[in-house]
Amino acid sequence: MPTRPALSGHGLSKRYGTQYALSGVDIDITPGEAMAIVGPSGSGKSTLLHVLAGILPVDDGEVTLGGTRIDSLGETKRSELRRTEFGFVFQSGMLVGELSAEENAALPMLLAGAGRKEAMAEARRWLEHLGLTGKERNRPGELSGGQAQRVAIARALAHRPSVIFADEPTGALDTRTGGETMTALLDAAAGSGAAVVVVTHDRDLAASVPRTVSLRDGRIDADTRAGAVVPA
Amino acid sequence: MNSFQLALRVLRTDGRTRVSAILIAVGVAVATALVLLLVSLPGATETRADRSAWQQYGEPSEDGASLELVASEDVAPDGREIQRVDVAALADPSRIDLPPGIDSLPGPGEALLSPELADAVDHTPGSQLGERFGANAGVLGDDALAYPEQLVALVGHAPEDMPSTAMPQDGFSPAGRGADPMLGLLAGVGVVVLTVPSMALVASSARLIAARRERRLAAFRLAGATPRQVIGMVTAETAIAAAGGALLGWAVSPLLRQAATTVPWDGGTWQASDFVLGAVPTVAIVVVVPLLVVLAAALGLRRVLSAPLGAAGGHTPKPLRWWRLVPLPVSGVLFAYLATTASSQVEATLLLVSMAMVIGSLTLAGPWITAAIGGLFVRRWRRPSALLAGRRLRDDPRGAYRATAGVVLAVFTGSMALTVLPSIEGQAGALREYTDGVLYVNADHGSLQRIAADTNDALARYGQDERAVTIGDAFLGDENALARVVDCDAAEQLLVVDMRGACEGAPGVYTPYPDVSRDELTVSAEFGQPGTSLPAAVPVRPMTTTGELAPEAIVDPAVLPADFTPNTGTVAVTSTPANVDVVRTALVSAAGGLPVQSRQARLDGQVSQLDDLQRVTVIGLLAASVLGGCSAAIAAAGSVLDRRRTFGALMAAGTPVRVLARALRAEAALPALVATVGAGVAGTLVGIGLFTMVDDGAKVLTPWLAAPVVLGIGVALIASSVCTPALRRVQAEPLADE
Repeated sequence: MPTRPALSGHGLSKRYGTQYALSGVDIDITPGEAMAIVGPSGSGKSTLLHVLAGILPVDDGEVTLGGTRIDSLGETKRSELRRTEFGFVFQSGMLVGELSAEENAALPMLLAGAGRKEAMAEARRWLEHLGLTGKERNRPGELSGGQAQRVAIARALAHRPSVIFADEPTGALDTRTGGETMTALLDAAAGSGAAVVVVTHDRDLAASVPRTVSLRDGRIDADTRAGAVVPA
Repeated sequence: MNSFQLALRVLRTDGRTRVSAILIAVGVAVATALVLLLVSLPGATETRADRSAWQQYGEPSEDGASLELVASEDVAPDGREIQRVDVAALADPSRIDLPPGIDSLPGPGEALLSPELADAVDHTPGSQLGERFGANAGVLGDDALAYPEQLVALVGHAPEDMPSTAMPQDGFSPAGRGADPMLGLLAGVGVVVLTVPSMALVASSARLIAARRERRLAAFRLAGATPRQVIGMVTAETAIAAAGGALLGWAVSPLLRQAATTVPWDGGTWQASDFVLGAVPTVAIVVVVPLLVVLAAALGLRRVLSAPLGAAGGHTPKPLRWWRLVPLPVSGVLFAYLATTASSQVEATLLLVSMAMVIGSLTLAGPWITAAIGGLFVRRWRRPSALLAGRRLRDDPRGAYRATAGVVLAVFTGSMALTVLPSIEGQAGALREYTDGVLYVNADHGSLQRIAADTNDALARYGQDERAVTIGDAFLGDENALARVVDCDAAEQLLVVDMRGACEGAPGVYTPYPDVSRDELTVSAEFGQPGTSLPAAVPVRPMTTTGELAPEAIVDPAVLPADFTPNTGTVAVTSTPANVDVVRTALVSAAGGLPVQSRQARLDGQVSQLDDLQRVTVIGLLAASVLGGCSAAIAAAGSVLDRRRTFGALMAAGTPVRVLARALRAEAALPALVATVGAGVAGTLVGIGLFTMVDDGAKVLTPWLAAPVVLGIGVALIASSVCTPALRRVQAEPLADE
């Protein structure tokens, strides 16, 4: 029996002016699945991620999470959804400079109303899981690029989302650190049961992800799953 | 491409730099307009004084005097001061040079009135006002008035009707008393108190693009630009904004001057032409203000010049040293000590120095206190807003405090003034010789009886029961104790003395000093002159004084030698609140120009001056608070924009704008609140100290003292108001944009 998708997009179109960034994209992500979206610059990778995450509204098509349409929700509801169901990892971590690693990791939970003790404990647990024991009180400026990204991963996972969106999470890292960070992200997500959607322009990095969706001119060019190519 | 062209290109292409430049220009415009106005204030008071110089005494001229003049103040029924000039021509009136605004000299029994006074006379019964002056023979022009609504009467007399105290002059006084030193001092304080927040506004505006500019300049440096070239670029960029702002400030300064004409000072408002500033000082201000801004911008580049890659953010900052706290209590204790002990000029100067030290130490302690409060938040936080605010305050306490530094100075000065002024006001009119409600005229003996008789005729004509009493001046004994020659009952009614039932007995001498020797009791009409002995049978009875200027003795005229005549004296009349204006009219019309005085009039004069100071203080505080609020708001917007990518990411991850805005509002509002409340408390304490030095009397703490705190809350609200719009702006931008 086929697994019900965690997140689906059907007939997704997005225009910037008269230019189509996405044009009729269909995509399903199953629970716990890890997927890389690749493609050349301007192919619509980040737009697809933002549309799926409810950051950008679509012009056409629909996005569903666990069978519920989310593209038609208002901004408040979509914000709540992003806060509770999704986690985000961005290119350079985008950590709050004034806060320590553990405070950064706990921030989404705190902003969502969690208590201080509970949020900090969860944040410390994830930092430890990601190999950052001893760095909890360091500020972002006192961490290496890879360590900062792992704090961002902890921040994305700490509230136990069902999908993690990562937009070029290794873009600012060297190859080795990038690989380690990607492994940490995938392992951590697998451990929590969250699906992962990674946007990257690095084909080698994408190869470490079980499924790769290739975009070109706003359309899916190829969808590769564990070595088999699924026709778009 | 030279520095200027580069700066223009950046301004054309970068919206945020453009916004920053516009805000810098606004800050410089405000500073320039304020300085232009404040610097013109002393000149404005001088212009006023020159215009109304004729209302004052000029140089005495015994030979060749063309007129005789008495200048005095009177009070209108509504409590406003009337400037009264009684004049008699000693030469052909057509040969007397008349001041601008006066077409002709009034003849005997005639008066020229200012428009406002003429209007008041038209709308008031003659017995209460109009009959003090005589027939209205015309109106004084604006050029003859200190301010448009001034109440002035130029009353004509025949020379023989003028009192002996009239001043013979060769024409009217052509020059005024010069600039008002009080307003000159206030203008100086205002330049500092209002320019500092304006400059803080400029600094906050520059901060809007600080991070972006640092990166751009660092890129230039890495590309091989020399420090001189980098300074050139920034100087050009800032100079364009600052010069534009200075010209804008100059252009809008007439509007500010127009607004300033409506603020009363020393009795009334101003004429627009009063605030004229010469070309040289105007050009100097329009050039110097932007130059200072450009200089500050160039000095602010030290970090880029020394570290082209820019300082990395996100490090745990070094805490501020504890010694920053030391100067505050030290200068505070020094100030308190000097305030309670200073008696010499040197100590008074030291007191002012210690006050400056208190202000300086606030600047040192402010960031430390800000950091300490931040630390408290970091340790005790329950919500992320407190954590974010606490970390920001702890990480950059100098920056957080700097945005409100201008307000600190204004609030400190304002609180101090608002503490001192009502306390002084509480002392106003305390020195008194006559009981409340008594109107009196001091005159020589030759005029006393005539003034009293004419007053009583007028009082009878007006149907009033009160009657004028003459009180002679005398000096008792070798010690020349001041005595007033008046009968016992009248003394008790008119003077601040308590005769303790002594009026029941035979007439005598009354004094609060029981050791006065009856054997040596002499009386003299002149201070220091040998006196005439009083008969040994004259009884000396005790009395007590109830006012600071009470006479040292009362001498009943019945006990004086028949040939004793006082040289000077007073005509005094009691009045009630219901008939005070009628009694005043009777006395004024009889006094022939001699000033009619009363405790209430003196009190009104003192209170009016203090009201002026209080009004100017509150206006200054308001202006400084608005400026401080704007600079704190711009600083808050800058701090949001500095972290736009982080906040953009947090919002993308679902953090509601209102939650982030709440955190940022706390971050923006806290330093402003801490700074203003702290400065308000310090200012109040210093004000109390200053007043203690002047007087040990009770300190009057009025609700006005809350004004700085209210304004501080206002500043905090203004500062925090931009957080939500700034976040919405960040939210609307593409996530990866920078």
